[in-house]
Amino acid sequence: MEVDSKSISTQAIEELSKELIQQRELGVTEEGERLIELQIGPTHPGSGHMRIRVWVDGDIIVRCDPDIGFVFRTIEKLSENRIYMKTIPLVERPSLLDTTPMTIGYINALEKLMGIEPPPRAKYLRTILAELTRIASHLYGIGIFAIFLGHSTGFMWGFGDRELFVELANQLSGARITYAYVIPGGVRRDMPQSFPDNVEKALRYFEKRLPDWYKMFLNNPVVEKRLREVGILRKNDAAKLGITGPNLRASGIEYDVRIADPYEAYDELDFMVPVADEGDAYARALVRFEEIKQSINIIRDALRKMPGGDIIHPQIARMFNPLMKKIYEESRRVKFPGVFASLKPPKGEATARVEAGRGEALFYLVSDGSPKPYRFRWTTPSYRNAILFKYLVPGHRLADLPAIYGSIDYFPPEADR
Amino acid sequence: MIQETLLLKELLGNNEMIYRTVIGLGYMLIYPGLIMIVIAAALLLWAERKIVALVQLRYGPLWISRRIGGALQGFADLIRFSFQEVIIPRRSDVIPFLLSPGLAILFSVLPIAFMPVSPYIKPPIHSDIGLLAAIAVISVAPIFIVLMGWASDNKFAFVGSLREALLIVSYEIPFIISILSMGVMYSSLDFYEIVERQSLLPGMLLNPFAFLASFIAMLRVTSRFPFEISEAETEIVAGPYTEYSGLMFGLSMGLAYIKLYVYALMVSLVFLGGWLPIVSGEGVISGFLIPSLIVIIKLTVVCLVAVFLRAVYGRYRIDQAIRIGWIHVFALSIVSLVWSIILVYGGWIRWV
Repeated sequence: MEVDSKSISTQAIEELSKELIQQRELGVTEEGERLIELQIGPTHPGSGHMRIRVWVDGDIIVRCDPDIGFVFRTIEKLSENRIYMKTIPLVERPSLLDTTPMTIGYINALEKLMGIEPPPRAKYLRTILAELTRIASHLYGIGIFAIFLGHSTGFMWGFGDRELFVELANQLSGARITYAYVIPGGVRRDMPQSFPDNVEKALRYFEKRLPDWYKMFLNNPVVEKRLREVGILRKNDAAKLGITGPNLRASGIEYDVRIADPYEAYDELDFMVPVADEGDAYARALVRFEEIKQSINIIRDALRKMPGGDIIHPQIARMFNPLMKKIYEESRRVKFPGVFASLKPPKGEATARVEAGRGEALFYLVSDGSPKPYRFRWTTPSYRNAILFKYLVPGHRLADLPAIYGSIDYFPPEADR
Repeated sequence: MIQETLLLKELLGNNEMIYRTVIGLGYMLIYPGLIMIVIAAALLLWAERKIVALVQLRYGPLWISRRIGGALQGFADLIRFSFQEVIIPRRSDVIPFLLSPGLAILFSVLPIAFMPVSPYIKPPIHSDIGLLAAIAVISVAPIFIVLMGWASDNKFAFVGSLREALLIVSYEIPFIISILSMGVMYSSLDFYEIVERQSLLPGMLLNPFAFLASFIAMLRVTSRFPFEISEAETEIVAGPYTEYSGLMFGLSMGLAYIKLYVYALMVSLVFLGGWLPIVSGEGVISGFLIPSLIVIIKLTVVCLVAVFLRAVYGRYRIDQAIRIGWIHVFALSIVSLVWSIILVYGGWIRWV
């Protein structure tokens, strides 16, 4: 189901926030002297790169203000002063755990400007890497979530099992985290011959581990008690606040860019979008686990359906010099022809959106015909989810703040850009 | 009287007073007192990290004393803490701030004075209400934890110490009731009689409710998972210990392990039969060392089970923990008391 965009007006948001703030700030005005203001962050073991200002009445939080922007790095402005190619590694930096979807989004916008479409094999390779990154990103999120609840085994397992997928991505792209694998018109290199076998081995291992995960983390009585009925996000609130990603799907709205507006090879692959109705922290954790399972399906399916052929658009391959051609034919690696250094897409603007690990990311690229973008606008999922702190946390206990923080998988550098 | 004691007495000039002082000091400071506790705490810390690492598919402490699996890690940490700078916040209340960790440790160690580890060498204070006295002394310690939080003048420390106060109240009462129900069961508060009366069946089988209630309460009182709530790192940094640094921090962190040792000693005496099955021997070796080693082994098992839970559970929210304390654990302790009364006054158990 796609959210009806007309129903989300600014007025509705204002009304909602007024109502919620009135409800929840009542304590602030009436019992102002009883409240303690706690500054959680920016140097707090449970805050990440942000500050959360909470006002507590006893143990109950009556007001919560997320204060973001501590790791703001002017990515959008920086990209206006660089050639198009140099922005590829730049868009990876803010969300280091979830890099490939971001590069895919940027490159898709750029390809739309240039009017080229990558060959099918490149699309499949991009999809596989994006799904590997999604699993790694979810495992990271679950690990952090676990340690927020004091569950150190979940933390260590999350990081340990993430290593599998980071290592697979390393085999495919040659880097562990910042792949810069996606380039205009294709991908940097083809997959090695042993790759499908290694993927199958890793996936099988991880599938064997999943029951342990459920036993130790999701079905753990303490974890369940901490997460059920905590931070409930209702369906219409989620739609009005513009929440995205697994957090939205845990509130019962089945919206995924991979289905709604398929990019790369997603329209040819077989998968479903897990949805939960409860909207509480437990549902959000559950949806992440189910998404990992779906990602495993996608990777298997993509490897099975992998078409042969080129990994770079023939228009770009034509510009290779003899040495580049030799390298491409021998080891299936793409060396950048000189044209990439002075890539000048025709005048115009393009948008692209992708489903990153934490939700929908929107890319908007304006070209004025020069080698540098005129404007690059980028909305990240974490930025859209940050507002949840304000609405989900009040009314809960102080101990629920980490539980809610972990459950929305908020990643400050990604939000700040 | 056997050879060694005679020798010691002769050396000390056959003075009963000096002899008892020396034995008492040795008992409190060396074994099974302070030094043993420090060694046990350091090893326990290592064991905890190693066991948890086993569950979490990693190595745990490794590089310090690699040949014995990093067993000296705890001592290395202790040395590091000792040489770190102690920072005293300007706005803190200096005297309570500095004194309370030491006092908390003092009152956690003092119950050892009432608790025997062997039939031959008696604890410094051998009293027929030893059990009650030990519980009374150790329940003073949390007051100093609350004091730490108050004296630090830090919001996180303040919140942490309030949590500690709330939780201690809701878990020490079930602990005391369930331990005292064993006193009812044995019709005695003297540790020697308590151990003696477990020669047929250990206390945990005589009154399993009391064992369960006091074990759960012990987990909370010593800040083990899933009740590690007053120091919850991601919520309130380090709770009452937030402002402490250097040796003071080491002391505050060690406090939980020291308490664990003492509580586990109490549990192994009351529920696990102390030095039984060794009945009674003569001399230092068979009358003191072997029985005390058996006690230490039982105590270690209790401690290891307690620290292992870190690998399994996260932490409860404070209201959930208090609810569990007042509803389930408290009810369990009342059941254990009723069970004891029924067994003893219904004539099922008769002590000769």
